[in-house]
Amino acid sequence: MLFKEDTVARADAEAVRKNIGWYEWTHDLVEVRGKDTHKLLDYVCVNTISDTPGVSKYTTMLNEQGKILDDTIVTCMAEDVYWVSTLYGPKFMPLIDKYIADMDAEYEDLTTKIGMYAIQGPNSPAMLDALLETPLGDIKRFRMADNKVGNLAVKVHRSGFTGENGFEVYCDRDKMPELKAAIAAVAPQFDARELQTLEVYVRSLPMEAGMALKQDMQGLTPSEAGLGWSVHMEKEFHGKEALEGYEDQYELIGLILDDERVSYEDIAQNEILCHKGVQCGIVRQMIYGYTVEKNIGFGIVDKKFAVPGTRLTAGENFAGLTVAESKKFLV
Amino acid sequence: MSLRETVGSAKCVETAWGKLINQKDAYNFGVRHIAAFSANLFQLMRIIEPDWEKRTAAISETANGFNMAACGGDPDDPYIAAFYDEWNIPEFCDKSAWLGAIWGDSGDEYENMAGRVIQFTRNRVEKELDTCPWDIVGSEMCNMTTGMFTANFDLTSKNFENEVQLNMCEARGCGNRHCRVVAERRDVTGLPKQGWLDHRGEAYFPVHDTPEERTVKEGQIIRNGKYTNAFGEEKSFDWAYNWVMQMGWVWSIQFPLVAMGDMCDDDDEFERLLKIVYATAGKNQFIEPSAYEGMRDFLGVPKEIGRVDSRIMGSYIKTLLDCQLVPCEFTAFEKDETRIHCDCDDFVGRYEMAPLDELVVGYEAQWNSAVKTLSGPELSVWFEGVDTEDMEIVIGKKIDNRML
Repeated sequence: MLFKEDTVARADAEAVRKNIGWYEWTHDLVEVRGKDTHKLLDYVCVNTISDTPGVSKYTTMLNEQGKILDDTIVTCMAEDVYWVSTLYGPKFMPLIDKYIADMDAEYEDLTTKIGMYAIQGPNSPAMLDALLETPLGDIKRFRMADNKVGNLAVKVHRSGFTGENGFEVYCDRDKMPELKAAIAAVAPQFDARELQTLEVYVRSLPMEAGMALKQDMQGLTPSEAGLGWSVHMEKEFHGKEALEGYEDQYELIGLILDDERVSYEDIAQNEILCHKGVQCGIVRQMIYGYTVEKNIGFGIVDKKFAVPGTRLTAGENFAGLTVAESKKFLV
Repeated sequence: MSLRETVGSAKCVETAWGKLINQKDAYNFGVRHIAAFSANLFQLMRIIEPDWEKRTAAISETANGFNMAACGGDPDDPYIAAFYDEWNIPEFCDKSAWLGAIWGDSGDEYENMAGRVIQFTRNRVEKELDTCPWDIVGSEMCNMTTGMFTANFDLTSKNFENEVQLNMCEARGCGNRHCRVVAERRDVTGLPKQGWLDHRGEAYFPVHDTPEERTVKEGQIIRNGKYTNAFGEEKSFDWAYNWVMQMGWVWSIQFPLVAMGDMCDDDDEFERLLKIVYATAGKNQFIEPSAYEGMRDFLGVPKEIGRVDSRIMGSYIKTLLDCQLVPCEFTAFEKDETRIHCDCDDFVGRYEMAPLDELVVGYEAQWNSAVKTLSGPELSVWFEGVDTEDMEIVIGKKIDNRML
């Protein structure tokens, strides 16, 4: 849980919003390679996958019912070589196993071989320039490029999960202490903070920016999760058949806890949401947002209750909540 | 929601009289009776080892040892790797002691110890509970569970030893409003290693005390039908129900029983005392008129059924076993004699790998006494065919001139 008065969590959040915060952010990472790799990934993902080296795409992958199985970043690393970055590698691999046999493609789980630090915040470009051998230049969002930190080979990805300008720096896992030491050495020049509180960078910062985890979207179609923009119905993809003709029933919404409620100790993940005392959905998770200064959350409700301003209650103590204008709480 | 929509999935236990006990109430009944058996066992422990420190240290060390034995002492042990996979612990999480809290939190919620993780950081974890079905057992258990819980942290630490100091700062079994377990990293706080009796200390950093209006009465599995951990992985109520009906017997009965074996090396004396303690509990079970009337109502016993009727106690025992997921069936159900068939392996092997023969001795003594106040002294309860697959629990008339 995060509380308004938690000074450490607040300092973590403010570092990212106002300056720079850095933290280990290693994900499960699967490398897929071979002549048919683009065809394979383009089929298992709802978004189009770029075949331009250095370009990454955010996408979801669906199950046979058209519901979100996972969301991920797919990056073209070189011709016929792609990285799939996810928090749920063990769930991604069975999906490509279904199709890989008939294709010229293979994959390798790089999770134990590659590590990553995130450096996030409005002033992060300056810190990256001080850290890297070659200045960032005008690297665009969702682009990855090779670089060096001292003698250490790294890959720098302009991306993040905080809603701020930021970067992800990859290196061999066994070189992570070296990378950490280099970041820590340059951080004081920029007053950059190593974040302490997992829930701040996994939940609070992303939720303020409207960024959901896979677990929030579980059981929803991309459209119900607010990700309809990423679905390319003009191409073939796994789960497309189920989406055709499907009418959205649910919606992933933003929730704001009543101010007088102070905190959300009695609202767990999957707590029951009610409208006028009748169940209408579930809470996905509540958290405190130090930028918006509110207890905020995501919920899944029957679409007819997703209207902003709708009053709901959560849990056995009937905690009062309001459906937010948007899942993105930051104005 | 109409029955038409739920009839296919609704689950319940049916008593011998046709009363339906919904799955949540069945779970609560079953769990609370594990705690009651444990409470009686701890009374026995207080008789055979009068010294609070000695018995508390002994059960804490035993419970911790059993938990530690789950893993071979190798940080890459498959048992630990499976734990990380099962709970979807992300790669960016430092694989060290603090992740033991994931274990503890899940166990609490499976057992309807309702509460919340107040703080979950690498340096500090704070867990607060509002309820605990085992809150009747007493202070030794609060210490024992903390000692046992230490193993969860040690197994996930890099060097398999106390990276954290673990304190149950408050305990419902000791009269506090909450249970509160706090793990704080020793390399950050400078706190010393703890002995078995040191786990009830204060937290180093301030705690968060949830006010009563924001507390909960039931765990996630009851409230929401599932438990969700910090990383979004879920276990259903069904799964948790099955888990607790096995593991609840292990940690709260088996572990202390092993320690008690060292406190009393005379098996006959141990059994004699065990029978006396459980018989005492049974005699008090239905002494209040409200307890008698309440049990009849709970079971749905028809008004025309009189008090001295073996079927009342029989249906009570059968319902308890059903709620505890023990396979059994009536072989006789008449006023003067009721028989319940139950394979002895099923009765004692709630967790198959660790059968508890003491369940037969304890329950026979307890139920034989309970039936005296539920129905009358003419009726008794005894087990036949113990240690066989044809074991039967008999409620019938018996005269014994040396009856306890």
